[in-house]
Amino acid sequence: MEGRLLIEARGITKTFPGVRALDGVDFDLKAGETHILLGENGAGKSTLMKVLAGAYQPDAGTIALDGRTVRMANPRHAQKLGVGIIYQEFNLVPYMNVAQNIFQGRFPHRWGFLDHATMHAESRKLLDSLNMDIDTRAKVVNLGVAQQQMVEVAKALSVQSRILIMDEPTAALTDREIEQLFATIHRLKQQGIGIIYISHRLQEVHQIGDRVTVFRDGRLIGTRAVSQVTLDELIGMMVGRTITHMFPRDYQPRGPEALRVEGVVSGTRLRGASLTVHGGEIVGLAGLVGAGRTELARAIFGADPYQQGQVWVFGQPVKAANPDKMVKLGMGLLPEDRKAHGLAMLLSLSENIVLASLQRLFPRRFVDAGTEREVVARYISDLRIATPSPKRLVQFLSGGTQQKVVLAKWLCTHSRIFIFDEPTRGIDVGAKAEIHGFMNELVKQGAALLMISSDLPEILGMSDRVYVMRQGRVVAEVPRDKATQERIVAYAMGHEVEP
Amino acid sequence: MSAVTPQPANRRERGPLVVWNHVPPVAWVVLLLIAFFGVTAPGFFTAGNFLNIMLQGSVLLIMSVAATLVILTEGIDLSLGSVLTLAGVTAVLTLQAGLSVPAAVLAGVLTGVACGAATGFLITAGKLPPFIATLGMMGIAAGLALVLTRQGAIYSDVPAFVFLGGGSLGVIPMPTVIAVLVFVFGWIVLYQTDFGRYIISIGGNEMGTRLSGVNTAWWKFLTYVVAGALAALGGVIMAARLRAADPIVGNGWEFDAIAAAILGGTSFEKGNGTLGGTVLGVLLISVLRNGLNVVGVGAMWQPALIGLVIIAAIVFDVMLKQRGVIQ
Repeated sequence: MEGRLLIEARGITKTFPGVRALDGVDFDLKAGETHILLGENGAGKSTLMKVLAGAYQPDAGTIALDGRTVRMANPRHAQKLGVGIIYQEFNLVPYMNVAQNIFQGRFPHRWGFLDHATMHAESRKLLDSLNMDIDTRAKVVNLGVAQQQMVEVAKALSVQSRILIMDEPTAALTDREIEQLFATIHRLKQQGIGIIYISHRLQEVHQIGDRVTVFRDGRLIGTRAVSQVTLDELIGMMVGRTITHMFPRDYQPRGPEALRVEGVVSGTRLRGASLTVHGGEIVGLAGLVGAGRTELARAIFGADPYQQGQVWVFGQPVKAANPDKMVKLGMGLLPEDRKAHGLAMLLSLSENIVLASLQRLFPRRFVDAGTEREVVARYISDLRIATPSPKRLVQFLSGGTQQKVVLAKWLCTHSRIFIFDEPTRGIDVGAKAEIHGFMNELVKQGAALLMISSDLPEILGMSDRVYVMRQGRVVAEVPRDKATQERIVAYAMGHEVEP
Repeated sequence: MSAVTPQPANRRERGPLVVWNHVPPVAWVVLLLIAFFGVTAPGFFTAGNFLNIMLQGSVLLIMSVAATLVILTEGIDLSLGSVLTLAGVTAVLTLQAGLSVPAAVLAGVLTGVACGAATGFLITAGKLPPFIATLGMMGIAAGLALVLTRQGAIYSDVPAFVFLGGGSLGVIPMPTVIAVLVFVFGWIVLYQTDFGRYIISIGGNEMGTRLSGVNTAWWKFLTYVVAGALAALGGVIMAARLRAADPIVGNGWEFDAIAAAILGGTSFEKGNGTLGGTVLGVLLISVLRNGLNVVGVGAMWQPALIGLVIIAAIVFDVMLKQRGVIQ
């Protein structure tokens, strides 16, 4: 179907402090097509989506709607111009009903009072035109995820959107709900609406897409017609990130099993994960955002309870896991979100380093300032932590230094099993290499490391073995000599691979 | 948000006690108040009146140490005043039953421990917000006090008991001696033990602290127990001073205690605050109360004025922070 151009973006560039999120990207969308955006985490899909929806202002480049150049001042303005967006996190008010949510911010009035009749009638008409069987008087909180998403679609279309942006709309849906969504999308296409569809599932490209554009590291790699491209070609376009520095690894025979996880199910996002980590090896855990890797780390560490499954530490089964117990068993977690989960930002470097070891260092409960100073001074020098004083509050330290503080905390407890969740995210190149060096040192001394990373070169450069997670499950184990970026991405996105 | 320039951060970076090169604004307000009342009220600058301020501030200091510990964990304890009342009642009832003074003090303090344990349990095991759990306890403790006293004051003038509230060590009133001991106890717990570290770090980042393998539920529970015990000790002293347990004596004390902590710079966010600051907050409220009495402003006006001072002090603090005068 060859529609006219709805949106045409040229040379879009967007930088954030330290990152070029989009680098001179061209993109267009035709009426009545679904244009799929593909790329690894951090490739620039979300940034482009936000630029097109007026949430970000591009640093350079132009956007034309129907051939006319426009500047979208804010999301509301974009909405007026006919660009609707549905984020992964819905923007619905849970305790308001469907009609009120659809008309959020522009309730119809009559004599200064809300005009409920019009609101419900209009909502009904809209929902019927989309073939959606939802009661307009139902409270959103009582709807399922798929129905909430339909309300979002209706809300976006209620302002006469001609362009609809959907961010991973199927991430939280069941197979049946996905079929419903796809049916809705087909109907929208027939009405001439253009859809920008961000996806993490390769099979969706052929199910729903007309054209597909691949991003990598903020750059446009290519746009293809879906009918003329294979999934393997797409994978080839997505990977191939250049390896920017050498990874310091001394591989060695692996030691005894340190951690065994079998069939762990936790919450809704972790649906069954099994893996083992031995002393003296770094085990990579790859997967896309939302695949359940962080959830698995938290479950292993006892931060979240698991409904099924079993964890063994050094051969001993763990009963009723909690972080307290796991730390005593010799485990340490370096979380992805250092600010929220790793450090107390208003406490000093020194206080953070000894926090997990107070019981070991001061069994008689009184904190001895001299001992604390000595212990902390040793880690500051061992890990080359750059700080004017051990009393410096960690909020004033750089990302790399903060990560070293978290590492020092776990060295201080004499951990033997380390879970690194995105160990070098947001850290400058120099500190990155240092962290990798410390990880190598740890395994040389026999520690067991589980490393979650979205950075494929890091996964390939640091790991002895790689597990891949998808949709809450560990779906593959790849030995080092077979690990390629293509193979890992294929597993992560659910594409069949020959072993 | 602007870039963070690395500079000495908050009060805690330089150590737990207030130091001269960083005097919190509240200290200046205290000095100003003292000067103001010194000029306007003839009877203010007398040794007797200063002893009076100390005496009046003693129970408040004990209560405020309790409030500060709880607020540092990002919690709140609204039941402190009611626990004070109830503990006075159980202490006097114990004396009336013919038991010894140590037994009465113990009974009072254990009353507070029980109340604190109940709220602590509801908050940690029951996952109730501290506001709700302690609001409930506020009503329960106040109600029990009314029931136990049949809504009237109950009396005891056992000399050793009365000494706790009315006696003195040299010239220093006993309540002040006890309050200073409580402050020292609080300071040691907060700055010299692992418990204190956990209190501060739970307030700073509870999830992060839990993920460091700290049994945060237990330490939060313990914080409410300690706060309850301290409030109860305040109640025992109050009953000793009045030679009676009045079933409504503690009404509003949680307000003063929380106010003193806030005025002293303890923040409801991120476990920021110091016990030294709380002492200043207590001084501010005590001087204000005393000065108003001396110049003849009636007791009924005082809560409103203290409320005003709190808001003024906080606005002042926020203004200074926005202009970067203080961190």
